[in-house]
Amino acid sequence: MFVEFSSVLRATMLGVQLGMTLALVAAGLTLIFGMLDVINFAHGSLYMMGAYLGVTVSAQFGSFWLALLIAPLAVGVIGAVIEVFGLRALYGRNPLYHILLTFGLAVMIQGLVVEIWGGQSLRIEAPASLAGTVQLGPVEYPVYWLFVLAISTLLIAAVWLMIDRSDLGILMRASAHDTEMVDALGIDVSKVFTGVFVFGAVLAGVAGVLLGASRSVNPGMGFGVIIETFVIVVIGGLGSFKGAVYAALAVGLVTAYGALIAPSVTDIFLFAMMAVVLMIRPNGLFGATEAA
Amino acid sequence: MSHDPGTSTGSRGSTNRSVSTTSRRRFLVSGAAAGATALAGCAGGGGSDTLTVGHVLPTSGTYALLGESIMNGFDLYLQQNDGQLGGYEVETVQRDTAGETDTGVTITNEFLVQEGVDALVGPVSSAVAIAMMQTVQQESSAIWLNANAGDYRVTQDGCMDLHFRTSFNDWQTSAPLAQWVYENVADNVVLSYADYAFGQNSKNFFQEAFEEAGGEVVGEVAAPLGTDDYSPFLGDIESSGADAAFSFFAGSDAVNYISQLSDFGLDDELTQTGSGFLLSEDTLPAQGEAALGKYSLLHYTATKETDRNQTFVSNYSEEHDRQPNVYACQGYDSAQALDIAASNADSTDASDLASALSGAELDSPRGEFSFDPDTNEPLQSMDVREVVQGDDGVENEVVATIDDIELPDWGCSL
Repeated sequence: MFVEFSSVLRATMLGVQLGMTLALVAAGLTLIFGMLDVINFAHGSLYMMGAYLGVTVSAQFGSFWLALLIAPLAVGVIGAVIEVFGLRALYGRNPLYHILLTFGLAVMIQGLVVEIWGGQSLRIEAPASLAGTVQLGPVEYPVYWLFVLAISTLLIAAVWLMIDRSDLGILMRASAHDTEMVDALGIDVSKVFTGVFVFGAVLAGVAGVLLGASRSVNPGMGFGVIIETFVIVVIGGLGSFKGAVYAALAVGLVTAYGALIAPSVTDIFLFAMMAVVLMIRPNGLFGATEAA
Repeated sequence: MSHDPGTSTGSRGSTNRSVSTTSRRRFLVSGAAAGATALAGCAGGGGSDTLTVGHVLPTSGTYALLGESIMNGFDLYLQQNDGQLGGYEVETVQRDTAGETDTGVTITNEFLVQEGVDALVGPVSSAVAIAMMQTVQQESSAIWLNANAGDYRVTQDGCMDLHFRTSFNDWQTSAPLAQWVYENVADNVVLSYADYAFGQNSKNFFQEAFEEAGGEVVGEVAAPLGTDDYSPFLGDIESSGADAAFSFFAGSDAVNYISQLSDFGLDDELTQTGSGFLLSEDTLPAQGEAALGKYSLLHYTATKETDRNQTFVSNYSEEHDRQPNVYACQGYDSAQALDIAASNADSTDASDLASALSGAELDSPRGEFSFDPDTNEPLQSMDVREVVQGDDGVENEVVATIDDIELPDWGCSL
């Protein structure tokens, strides 16, 4: 099948952008698992809340930038509430409890969204300063989509550096590795846990606002994204941030090129990819030994 | 990815149904005692003085909004007629299909066998409708007012005297636009559509009619249902060099397709046209200015300036604080059709109702229409609408009305 260069370029740009935005969502999911051993099914709902709160804030104040600032912070607050009043009581218990609680939360949040915002699709208005397109070689590319690509790449790089280099990152990794020892050293581990959960929620909220201005915002988006991010986290290795970033990039590019070559089987291919990785490396590409 | 999963959207909270309703919750509570509830329903009804209506509609999942709009429209008509249709007290039963085929069939079966309903209203999804056909035919105990599912195969493969489309079929929302596009927009088009039965049917019907009119199809792009990002598909649309595009997308797909087409500046290069679901009341607020100047075809337009429609719009808006959409009109007309059927038949027997409704005329908010005696399909005019800037955001304006459309009969002759 003949595919034009301009189409390949457009798909590549989309693939990288998808990879980076999905990584923002997957980062929280994998960090929360790495640290708290909790599989958070409600994580997609946090992404969705970012988008919906973004719709409300931007409509209320007429400012996309305010939405990008406020909505993720509000999602962080929701994350804190979930962690402190919900999950905290269940740490160390059978993971089934975590799944039941977070899945139940996801269903509840979806119901709440329909009640508050209704079932129809909404959209965040992209800022006027980022309207229009730029010429990139043979293709016209929307400025806003480039902005999403740039800002999510920067954020992922910043998180990577923080986890790898900063004292906070060391503390996070230490808490995940040996909770009791960190506790014994006089550090309040439960605060670190809450912090990680909130941090993951904020990142998901940012992704929600960013994509909420290029895609439709609808009540199904939470469950939609959680499937993609689970594939990413499983391929990358549960608990591994680096793994999640690489896997997100791979999934983003496969999705975009798949749409170009064989749109109807792209999903099947993604799941096949996950199955193959699980067969060869059951802990994922960067799993277990290299946690966080 | 992210295929608007069939996952539950949670139950719709309090339902302000104005008529006696066996709510979903009551069904859940009664659980195994569903039979008892059914008996109570019959006994309470007092036999032939009541008309029992079963809503086979989704109140959760992707199509929740559509199901609710149909019920709202149905209830509005009922309310305007003091809870009676054709002189019969109406009792409504409703259960959530969630848009799932198996659930839809189970509910249909339960309504027909246990509840003994006299009329079925629904479904939203064509897949559900096609799966329901066998049960409805087998029981032959209720008239079926199809308030949305538009797949022509219900008529082609079913051709049932009990089935009446109070809505539309997929030929009507695509083929009649072809001649208009050829005469007013361009003589060549690229076709883009959501790759599932309804999208494929619409595409085929348009293509056939467009080529018959003398036009040329220069490209074709199929995107999976539930696509979030259309940019990989835009290349093929652009390189086709077409002057116009005809598309079938609905719901969030329509929002994504239209907005992204505009984001990438492609709508400067071609004129976008499509079936009415591409640019409808439920997508326009999210599409915003990206939708301006685009054309679509549908049988109902809320902004249509006829007295009949204006009255309907103001009554509906009073109840629900928003404008009616096409689904609400279809629900309204389902109640109206049942009213006509029951009063002409003076009976609640399914075949009596059906023969009373055959060929009948309806004074609908969409405009007058009648049921084709051969197929029970609605013989209706279609509106070509252009998206324009209104006082309150963008809105559809009727720019042409196509009358006297000759509908195919798909080999059905009742």
